[in-house]
Amino acid sequence: MSNDRLPPSWINRLLRALCKDDLVEEIEGDLLEFYKDWNTKYGRASANRRYLWHSLKFLRPYSIKRMTTKTTYPTMFFYYLKVAWRSLLKHRMYATIKVGGFAIGVAAFLLISLFLWDEVTYDQHYEQGDRLFRVVNQLEGEDMWTSFPAPASTVIRENYSGIETIARLIPYNGWFDAGDNQFRKSNDTKSLFETGFAYADPELLDILEVPMIYGTRDAALSQPRSIVISRRKAEKYYPNQDPVGQQLFLNENTETPYVIGGVMENFPKKSHVDFDFFITLSQHEFWPGEQSSWCCWNYNVYLRLNDGTDPLALGQQLKGLSEYVAEYQERNSPSEAEITREKHSFVLQPLDEIHLPQDFIHDTFDHGSWPIVWLFVAIGTMVLLLACINFVNLSTAKAANRAKEVGIRKVVGSGKRQFVHQFLTESFVVCLLAVVVALILVALVMPYFNSVTQKSLSLPWLSWWFLPGVLVFVAFVTVFSGLYPAFYLSRFRPIQVIRGNLSLGSKNTNFRSVMVIFQFAASIIIIVGALLVYQQLNFILNKDLGFEKERVLLIHGVNTMNEKSVLFKEEIKNLSAVTNAALTSYIPISGTRRDTNPFWLEGRRQVDAGVGAQFWYTDRDYLETLGMDLVAGREFRDMAQDSASIIINEEMARQLNLDDPLGARLDHFRRTWTVIGVVQDFHFESMTEEIGPLALGPGLFGDVMVVKLQSQDLRALVDNISEVWDNFMPNQPIRFTFMDDAFKRTYENVGRTAAMFTAFAILAIFIACLGLFGLSAFLAEQRRKEISIRKVLGATHRNLFGLLTFNFLKMIGIALVLAIPVAIAVMQAWLQDFEYAVPIGWEVFVIAGIGITFIALLTVSFESLKVIFTNPAEGLNAE
Amino acid sequence: MRKVYIGELEEVILLLVAMLQEEAYGVAITKEIQSQLSRNISVSAVHATLHRLEKKGYVESFMGGATSERGGRRKRFFKVTPAGGAILKEIQTARDLLWSRLPPNAWTT
Repeated sequence: MSNDRLPPSWINRLLRALCKDDLVEEIEGDLLEFYKDWNTKYGRASANRRYLWHSLKFLRPYSIKRMTTKTTYPTMFFYYLKVAWRSLLKHRMYATIKVGGFAIGVAAFLLISLFLWDEVTYDQHYEQGDRLFRVVNQLEGEDMWTSFPAPASTVIRENYSGIETIARLIPYNGWFDAGDNQFRKSNDTKSLFETGFAYADPELLDILEVPMIYGTRDAALSQPRSIVISRRKAEKYYPNQDPVGQQLFLNENTETPYVIGGVMENFPKKSHVDFDFFITLSQHEFWPGEQSSWCCWNYNVYLRLNDGTDPLALGQQLKGLSEYVAEYQERNSPSEAEITREKHSFVLQPLDEIHLPQDFIHDTFDHGSWPIVWLFVAIGTMVLLLACINFVNLSTAKAANRAKEVGIRKVVGSGKRQFVHQFLTESFVVCLLAVVVALILVALVMPYFNSVTQKSLSLPWLSWWFLPGVLVFVAFVTVFSGLYPAFYLSRFRPIQVIRGNLSLGSKNTNFRSVMVIFQFAASIIIIVGALLVYQQLNFILNKDLGFEKERVLLIHGVNTMNEKSVLFKEEIKNLSAVTNAALTSYIPISGTRRDTNPFWLEGRRQVDAGVGAQFWYTDRDYLETLGMDLVAGREFRDMAQDSASIIINEEMARQLNLDDPLGARLDHFRRTWTVIGVVQDFHFESMTEEIGPLALGPGLFGDVMVVKLQSQDLRALVDNISEVWDNFMPNQPIRFTFMDDAFKRTYENVGRTAAMFTAFAILAIFIACLGLFGLSAFLAEQRRKEISIRKVLGATHRNLFGLLTFNFLKMIGIALVLAIPVAIAVMQAWLQDFEYAVPIGWEVFVIAGIGITFIALLTVSFESLKVIFTNPAEGLNAE
Repeated sequence: MRKVYIGELEEVILLLVAMLQEEAYGVAITKEIQSQLSRNISVSAVHATLHRLEKKGYVESFMGGATSERGGRRKRFFKVTPAGGAILKEIQTARDLLWSRLPPNAWTT
């Protein structure tokens, strides 16, 4: 038989490797017979292919070799489990530290993962999500924002193709009935405070795919003056009934009632919009000509594109819109129009990017932040990594305990493979235990974590992927953290080990030291971070704001009293414990009503770009009540006399280039104002922003009454005020807040960051201490004999303690040196968000350093002292 | 009546093992199916079926002597067991019974 008539031998080798030994002979024989046929019929190449194909087809369950038949693992498995369990029980303290430390690390990792997953999966619930966008303004190199003039959406719809539906939304708190209102059913007498109102085009329900309980998406907002309410509000006001067609009043405007057109499902928690009331924009005009004017930027624009429309290209085409804007500006300020033509462009932003935007975009929604997300990704991975490192450290540190076992096993014939199996099984047991403990921990701290993060997270026990996912995680961590100890332990040489001279080498100590330094550096960074966040928080809360926020009461919803509110104010002022009171709609707390308006020096409208300033109507008691200082000029005196007077802040004077602002005349809208006073700059927005220009105009009424209190007995005073209120408004419960509380609430997110930092700082220190504990135990054990001899020769306990701990102090020193620059860099990045930031002082590093040294010494002394205090005879007797 | 778990291919191969007598092994059976029944079947499928039949106890097997044409590899020969014969007969009887009850023009009306 010639050689060229045999099939390639590698196929046979493959068959022999994969098929059961007792079957391979007949299979090969049969295939060979066919091969000869094929060879003559189709030629060699084809025959080879066929041979391979048919060989592969022989690989069936009955014929494939059992891959594990050669290992002893299945038989040994339960034995390994037993040994693992025994060794855990034998060293209970170590086992607890190992499992507990690991569990805490895993728990932290899980919590962070849940938090991050929640952050990055906002607005995923739309069926047509990939076609939903909102339009964003972009002024090159300056700013991005989402508001548009009223006619913008019509222009977009009529002039651009590729758009299926377009709708506008006014989410701005205080824009007519958007934001907060007093709410009254037409057949009720009680007027209650409600939040979450917004104006919307009828089509918005369709774009946001809002499920309707009563009414339809198409019809609910189509009638003028119709309103859609959320399910929770319907349940509150119209329990168990269909409220469609019911009338209701906002802010006691009984002449213009709203009619309920439908009830919508509550918005999901992970939606960027969360409104309870949509007021229709259908055929609505806020003042004559408003809908066709390009003056005022109040409308957010949402789109659903046609299938296949390129959002990028459409965004670029929208550049044409800027011409409309410029045309309007031309009349007032040609220079501004020029800037618009040159720099103003538009982009489409997918809805699911609104919560975590790539660039900072001004809008009114709550946002996550990518830096925070990345920070937590880093902390999460680091905590898990530290926990794994500890696991390795602790496993190898106590190696001596297992050395004899390994030696004996080797003598009776255990191979390396068996050791790896055994120790991996042990790691698996520990990991599984740790993960179970971690899951319990997570479930326990979840309520607290949720209250800190303002989320409603939970472990997805019921998801199909959860338990398998946990198992995969356990397997991964087992291999990751168990492989090194497994190989390390199986390397022991039996003779040496049994004779008792176990040398573990100094290389190993170095590895460990590096780990500990790394851990401590990480802890120091996190501690410094936590300290600085707290300092910044304190700094903000106690900074001189330019006004007094202590003992200031804000009474909301005064607007429903109309003219009577002035009387109410006078009565409140007459109360003995009240120093002063003022009526306004504007307060210097971030997130409350705002009104941006352009101002020009008289006659410069055509020449200059306007100064965009906050314009607040306030009464004559405003400055005094809030303790704001005038730098120049006077307050409003008499509304009749001061009807054209205006007070501006220093920043506005600066931006208008007014050296002597008093008497200056300012153009604004259709009026001209005379500056009668300059108020010292005060912080009316969050500290993350600079103080902007601000103008106070003379007003009589407002939503809010600001009351400055004198008394310490606030309880009694509040009762007095409530009494007065009830005389005026028997049907509307009084609603008030204290200004300092409202102020603190503005910085809740800073407080949250601080709380989370603290939690992770404690965790990091704890885990680092476990690592240190492992290392100190290891070294103390190594030097047991040395210590004993020193002791016999007369060393004192103090000498020995110094000897054992000096190294660690050195390590902490190195960690500190490494950590300082990193901490400074990271924290500077964070503080950059704040326009007014606390300086990074040296004292935080001193505190962190001393703190960590103290904790570390405490940890180290535990094992060291144990060795120091043992009878030297025992240490020397250990042979 | 006892339930008989035997598939159509199993039945065909069992019959062929009975038919081929001394020559009943993988290649011969495969070729027989290809030529007699004009069915394209791979040798691996035949092996798998034979394996299944053996597990069910309808055939038994033994290794034959080495031959040079297979490069010295032995053949595994198969033989129908009494149980295998019984089941073939059982199937045959059941079918005959049903056929005998068929009306003469069963397909035309």
